[in-house]
Amino acid sequence: MPDQTGLEIQGLEVRYGPVQAVRGVSLRAEPGTITAILGANGAGKSSLMKAISGLAPASAGRITLDGEDITKLSPHERARRGLSHALEGRRLFHRMSVEENLRVAWDFRNRGGGFKTVADRVYEQFPMLTARRNTPAGMLSGGQQQMVILSAALIHEPRYLLLDEPSLGLAPVIVQQIFGFIESVCRERRTTIILCEQVAAIALRVAHAGCVLRRGQVVRSGEAAALAADPTLSAAYLGG
Amino acid sequence: MHFVLQLIFSGVCVGAVYALIAMGLSLTFWTTRTLNFGQGSLLMTASVATVALLGAGMPIAFAVLLGVLLAGGLMIVAERIAIRPLLKAGDSMGWVVSTLGLGIFLQGFVSTVFGSQAIAFPSLVFDSLDFVDLAGVQVSSQYLAVLGLSLTLMVAMELFLRRSAWGRAVRAVSHDADAAALAGIPVRRVIVLSFVASGVLAGIAGVMVAQITGTVDPGFGFNLMVLGFVAAVFGGMGNTAGALVGGVSLGVIEKLVGGYVSTAAEHGMAFAILMVILAIRPQGLFGRKEFTKV
Ligand SMILES: Nc1ncnc2c1ncn2[C@@H]1O[C@H](COP(=O)(O)OP(=O)(O)O)[C@@H](O)[C@H]1O
Ligand SMILES: [Mg+2]
Repeated sequence: MPDQTGLEIQGLEVRYGPVQAVRGVSLRAEPGTITAILGANGAGKSSLMKAISGLAPASAGRITLDGEDITKLSPHERARRGLSHALEGRRLFHRMSVEENLRVAWDFRNRGGGFKTVADRVYEQFPMLTARRNTPAGMLSGGQQQMVILSAALIHEPRYLLLDEPSLGLAPVIVQQIFGFIESVCRERRTTIILCEQVAAIALRVAHAGCVLRRGQVVRSGEAAALAADPTLSAAYLGG
Repeated sequence: MHFVLQLIFSGVCVGAVYALIAMGLSLTFWTTRTLNFGQGSLLMTASVATVALLGAGMPIAFAVLLGVLLAGGLMIVAERIAIRPLLKAGDSMGWVVSTLGLGIFLQGFVSTVFGSQAIAFPSLVFDSLDFVDLAGVQVSSQYLAVLGLSLTLMVAMELFLRRSAWGRAVRAVSHDADAAALAGIPVRRVIVLSFVASGVLAGIAGVMVAQITGTVDPGFGFNLMVLGFVAAVFGGMGNTAGALVGGVSLGVIEKLVGGYVSTAAEHGMAFAILMVILAIRPQGLFGRKEFTKV
């Protein structure tokens, strides 16, 4: 395993034609920690995540993963280097079964070994998926879909995991469960996680560090505890 | 009675070939959300090339293989020059013009080299008069072989899409190309693969149709492609079963019209009937409404 020096972003910019969604963002995710990226709708969180995973090309700046410059790599190359990204809005392959979703996630990133063993581990982790393994993923409940997405994103034991608003549209109980799982992944597998959320409180409860984006720029950053303790934060930057 | 069965049987056979073309068109439609209007000319080029190679004294198996591979190879070119550059431009519909243009260019090229007259396509395996007796009905060996090969290819295609990593990747890219890329799937290569598969299916379909009709000419691919489109849309533009049912329905309707009304009305009537069916069931027989993305 290469030395884990973390994910480092320097002066990152993302443009969509005339729209500049990310403006000169620099941040660093320490290995084995959870970093929360907070910000209101339209602040540029998803664009930042997509630039890290390669779906949105960076118009300027540099992204290094464990010391390797990945700025010019295509998304699938980054994925195979151990960077996993779960998109906003529970994007899974709706017409494929739960098992096929896991299988597709495994096919091109596996590091040898059998699929069956990893799939069994997923069903052990989330027993309620066992009965639904042959059900089209589009027919699952939101919580179950989020479990499939997390399991698929983690199926090859990536070193880095990007999560875009995992709490969106889920009931509070499920959110608790999902965030408990995210925390355990970081603790037990030492996966470095970057997590973006509009709801600051949920994210800061599990995160070690965090930053706040506003109109594509980092306006606050620091330790999660310090950000969580700041009463002006949500009023000033998160739109209430 | 036998006449009806004969018509239905030949309809099923040509319909299975339409299904292959439909399958090819659907494959590239799903991976790129474009329709390849050059497909017909690519298919024609494959069968004309096969004739030319046979004429040059090449063994049958070799000539057919090269013809089909040529169709697959030309599809790589089609994707590279007529589709990929235009998809970069976002919502451009330029691919309509570029794929049509490529088709017309190929048709013109073949006309210039081989002339626009029909060229005789030799019997490859069975003579057009060979037949087998099937429960008292005389069945053309050629048609039977065409049906067998088409069904085999459809099954192979289905197995590829469900059981192999690259096949699943084709389906994943069709669902959501971004999510597929994030799963480590090399999306560009999967798209190229879908074009090659589409070309190979079309190439084989072209050779089989040429075998049945006995001639090829520079224009014959276009009609076939249109029939393939109809079969695909009719079947719901998505899965193998739909393409097969769509193709076979079209083939049977066409042959019944040809047998009882007039062969000149074959295509016209078939289209009219399908238009009525689609007006009633716009998503096709097997079509599902697409899941909307959240
Ligand atoms: N594909 C796109 N094309 C054009 N503009 C976009 C695109 N995606 C996002 N934007 C714009 O970029 C800005 C940031 O969006 P986004 O990164 O989705 O923010 P967030 O995830 O924080 O809600 C918004 O103004 C949005 O309208
Ligand atoms: Mg977002």
